[in-house]
Amino acid sequence: MFSNLFHPLHGSSWYIAILGCFALAGILIAILQSLPHALRRPLIRIVTFLGGLYYAVEYFWPTHSMPIPGSPKHMGNFLTPFISPAANMLSVIAGWTIGLGTINLCQIHGKRLLHAKEGKLNSLVFFIAMIAMFTLAVLKQAHPNLINKNLYMLLFEGLYQALDSTMFALVAFFLVSASYRAFRVRTGEATLLMVIAMVVMLGQIALGQQLTIHLPDHGFWHNFRVEIIRDWILTKASSASVRAIAFGIGIGNLAVALRVWLGLERGAFFDS
Amino acid sequence: MQTRNVIRYLNRIDRRVLYTLLIIAITIPFFFTIQIRVPISRQTEQLYKVVEALPQNSFVLFGADWSASTRGENRAQSKALLIHLMRKKIHFIILCFDPQAKTLMQEMVTGMQKEYGYTDGVDWANFGYRTDQVNFLKGFGPDIPTTLSMDINGKRVQDLPVMRGIHTAHDITMLINVSGSTTTETYIDYLQGSYNLKMVAAVTSVMIPEMINRLDSGQLVGMMPGLQGAIEYEQKLGYIGKASAASVSASVAHLLIIALILLGNIYTLIEKRMSSSVRGRN
Repeated sequence: MFSNLFHPLHGSSWYIAILGCFALAGILIAILQSLPHALRRPLIRIVTFLGGLYYAVEYFWPTHSMPIPGSPKHMGNFLTPFISPAANMLSVIAGWTIGLGTINLCQIHGKRLLHAKEGKLNSLVFFIAMIAMFTLAVLKQAHPNLINKNLYMLLFEGLYQALDSTMFALVAFFLVSASYRAFRVRTGEATLLMVIAMVVMLGQIALGQQLTIHLPDHGFWHNFRVEIIRDWILTKASSASVRAIAFGIGIGNLAVALRVWLGLERGAFFDS
Repeated sequence: MQTRNVIRYLNRIDRRVLYTLLIIAITIPFFFTIQIRVPISRQTEQLYKVVEALPQNSFVLFGADWSASTRGENRAQSKALLIHLMRKKIHFIILCFDPQAKTLMQEMVTGMQKEYGYTDGVDWANFGYRTDQVNFLKGFGPDIPTTLSMDINGKRVQDLPVMRGIHTAHDITMLINVSGSTTTETYIDYLQGSYNLKMVAAVTSVMIPEMINRLDSGQLVGMMPGLQGAIEYEQKLGYIGKASAASVSASVAHLLIIALILLGNIYTLIEKRMSSSVRGRN
């Protein structure tokens, strides 16, 4: 039943389904927009609760043998067959949120450009970049000829990837400048931090490791090799604090998830 | 008087001088082929043994989640791991949660496949970039063919020989994640844990402290720590790759930072002493 419901479509029926989805989404958005504020809050709460409930129940509900083609040992419960379609649906919703973000960006930069405000040149670059990338990506998919492919690669690899590398590489220059101007030892803790940072750095680089490479591979003096000290700092001292932070974040995330799921969260979700 | 001149000079060092020093420190070593033998770390040794123990024709999910920004570390890591997999004739599929990784990995494997007698679709496949990792993995675990649907060449999963017999996450022998972001943790949370998968990771240096806990807990059975891990892995494979070539540059850049931290602090110390001695005389 489920495989028929979520059967992949091809050809004209695919286009019809896509158009149907857009029309349905448009109607739904129009209905949601026309709802009074008093009704929006319970609606969001119900949808959020049901969404969370599905995954929670599917995870905790006892499983039994549920063979699928090619996997006779497959386990699951009555909710398991919906996992894949639900994941696809959520990916589509995530896609819509990207669209929402794009509209928002266009509004902000469009206003800045129309009113000739400060930074209008940046806004113009934004529109040119977005339209060029979007057009070439669509053309590459629709008509994958050599010109479209090369133009797309020119933008994606030649510009986008190169800019990404450049931006990240600039961090090294800031680091060098900051290491000279900002890393000042004024207290005992700062001195300890500096010494540990240096040992970890030396232990993490090939030339640094050469400083103590002549120490024996076993025995007491082995413990003084820079990579062994680095390993001890990372696996014992540092990992304990990282673990504590991770536990804190985990508990915090659980609390936030429960608040959102049960509709207790205030702010952007429920307050106007 | 001489000390005062030094202080004045140190105080006036322009940041462009520091930038030039960094450029020199990074670029000069590239003109020389210096092979430095490094001690192999426990984590890399563990990773090598795990991959080495994989039987021939095992099925590996290769999660590549890096972009041009972390290419310095992640590219060398990916290549070293791919060489090891291809030498052992292990089948693998690539899955990316970073849009750039799709083309970066495709280029890399396409360039290597002839040397190792691999064929796209038969021994490996690239399923490209997917959005929303959490929800994708929730669907991927119980039903791989439906969730993946088709590879980047538009071939359906059912038509790919490499995907024969792969239905759920239980059919994956090992999960490798090369990452410059938080995708490793998401893989652990939504795939490794649920299916008790054997998982290894190759991460950037800044991620090492977080991943060591995952290694201690047994969620990861091996880890390649940063560029240094890639150098060690190349050494284990007996191959000189990008990581080994970059090791001197990375080392000199780190040493420059250490030297500048020391110099900056020495300057502050001398300046403090001089000002206190002037105050003492007054």
